[in-house]
Amino acid sequence: MSIHVRLEINNITKRFKHKTAVNSFSMVVDANECVGLMGPNGAGKSTLIQIIADILYADEGEILLDGQQISTMKHQIGYLPQYPNFFSWMTAFETLSFMGTLSGLSKNELQDEIPLLLEKVGLEKEAHFQVGTFSGGMKQRLGIAQALLHKPALMIMDEPVSALDPIGRREVLNLLKEIKKETTILLSTHILSDAEEICERFVVIQNGHKIEDATKDQLLERHQESAIYVEIRQEDFKWATMVEQLSYVQKVENERNGFKIHVLHLEEDAQRLLQYALDSNVMLLKFEMGIQESLEEIFLELVV
Amino acid sequence: MALSKKEVTQMTKEFKIVWLPIVFILLGLTQPIMMYYMPVILQSMGGVEGIMIDPTMAKPNGSEVLASTLNSQFDQLGIIILAVATMGIIQGEKANGMMAFILTRPVSISSYLNSKIIVHYILAVFCIALGYGMSYGYTSYLFTTVPVMQGLLALALYCVWLLFVITFVAMMSTFFNSSAFIALVSIVVLFICRFIAGLHPFLDVVNPASNSLHATIVLMSGDMKAWYGIHIAVTMLLVIWMIATMHHFIAKKKF
Repeated sequence: MSIHVRLEINNITKRFKHKTAVNSFSMVVDANECVGLMGPNGAGKSTLIQIIADILYADEGEILLDGQQISTMKHQIGYLPQYPNFFSWMTAFETLSFMGTLSGLSKNELQDEIPLLLEKVGLEKEAHFQVGTFSGGMKQRLGIAQALLHKPALMIMDEPVSALDPIGRREVLNLLKEIKKETTILLSTHILSDAEEICERFVVIQNGHKIEDATKDQLLERHQESAIYVEIRQEDFKWATMVEQLSYVQKVENERNGFKIHVLHLEEDAQRLLQYALDSNVMLLKFEMGIQESLEEIFLELVV
Repeated sequence: MALSKKEVTQMTKEFKIVWLPIVFILLGLTQPIMMYYMPVILQSMGGVEGIMIDPTMAKPNGSEVLASTLNSQFDQLGIIILAVATMGIIQGEKANGMMAFILTRPVSISSYLNSKIIVHYILAVFCIALGYGMSYGYTSYLFTTVPVMQGLLALALYCVWLLFVITFVAMMSTFFNSSAFIALVSIVVLFICRFIAGLHPFLDVVNPASNSLHATIVLMSGDMKAWYGIHIAVTMLLVIWMIATMHHFIAKKKF
């Protein structure tokens, strides 16, 4: 079991010649959390990830892992680049053994660990094939294996599933769910459903700025509309036009098979509306309070 | 250690460990054989007419032949070949992201650089020594024998220059992204160094190529001057400075 550590990102700024890729970005990832870093292409996700992995140099700010400068804590970090590149002449086993040795693992440990790990990522049959012959999904899984090898407390992954086909994605996502139990994870993605599946917390970045940082529930709650969705029978449709005249109703929209009724105060107005429906003898087929947008819609709303 | 091992394996897979020594063996052979058959070649080409061949110069002695192996084969074609063989040393891994990837591990930049330079240097020394050994053998057979100590001393001096050559190409490889450009800049700068060697005593102190010149002087005359040591020390300092610069470059700008 790995120990869990806390990652602190303090006021990171990174400028390139023509643009500021990351602009005073701060966040804290607590031990055992799984955080999805989301944003459109070019938002600064990869730059930030690379700064955390100590590949890029931040112009300002600092990154602390467990209170220590991240550059001194490399043995606690597992990093998966966006396009993991390996020496094509090495076999999967050799690659892991090379990367493991760099992390200071002993030969015996490697001999014991690597076969287990290869089995975990589903590459046990390909252990002695050269990496040059691997498909994208296999390379990605090997990339995950190398990031896990030294049992890091923090996994940083740059677009772990974006380049994969649906089957490869499924495999990797399942693997990540497994890993999540033991490790703090920070991953970047522009595909929302992937992040939604493994992460509880989302940080949205755009033009280098952090524009949202919330858990899935908070996000849904925050973007909940104060509206009521009702479905009624065809013959009661004129009731909807009557509803529109009510003082507390702002707007009625046709949506799907029913109506979306916008109100000011969700709870008390819902009560009143329900009463009104009973009074006017209308059969309610469906009554839904507080229409939730999907994460996808929230995401689009945030970044567009 | 793991990095050096990887370098060696990579060289083996790329057959660099095979072709580079062969090239240098051929280079080493060329000089004594060419010089031995020069009169025959000239004659068969019909070019003797009008050319006076000094009968005393017709057969140079062994140390001259060996010296010219160093300064006309190794210092010209040899440098070009070494520069081309070493140009991708860091640039290749910089381009495909392997360097950044390796450095996300608890590996220091200096051990990364050192493993590369040391392994390539050892290979270069091995190749040069092989070629030089071949040349030595043929020279002794076709011309006169050069004293062994003199030959080894010259080789040792030459290896100091060689260390500069490898480190310099590695530095260019760190700075630039185009391999052709790296090779070109390295070859041009190293040639300039070699050409200006011996021009001015002060310039020679800071010019690493003077070590190569000293090697040929040692071969010809057999005496080792005390101030050669200073030149060696200055070259070593230059090498250390270059490694520090590369280190700084990778650490700060991160390529």
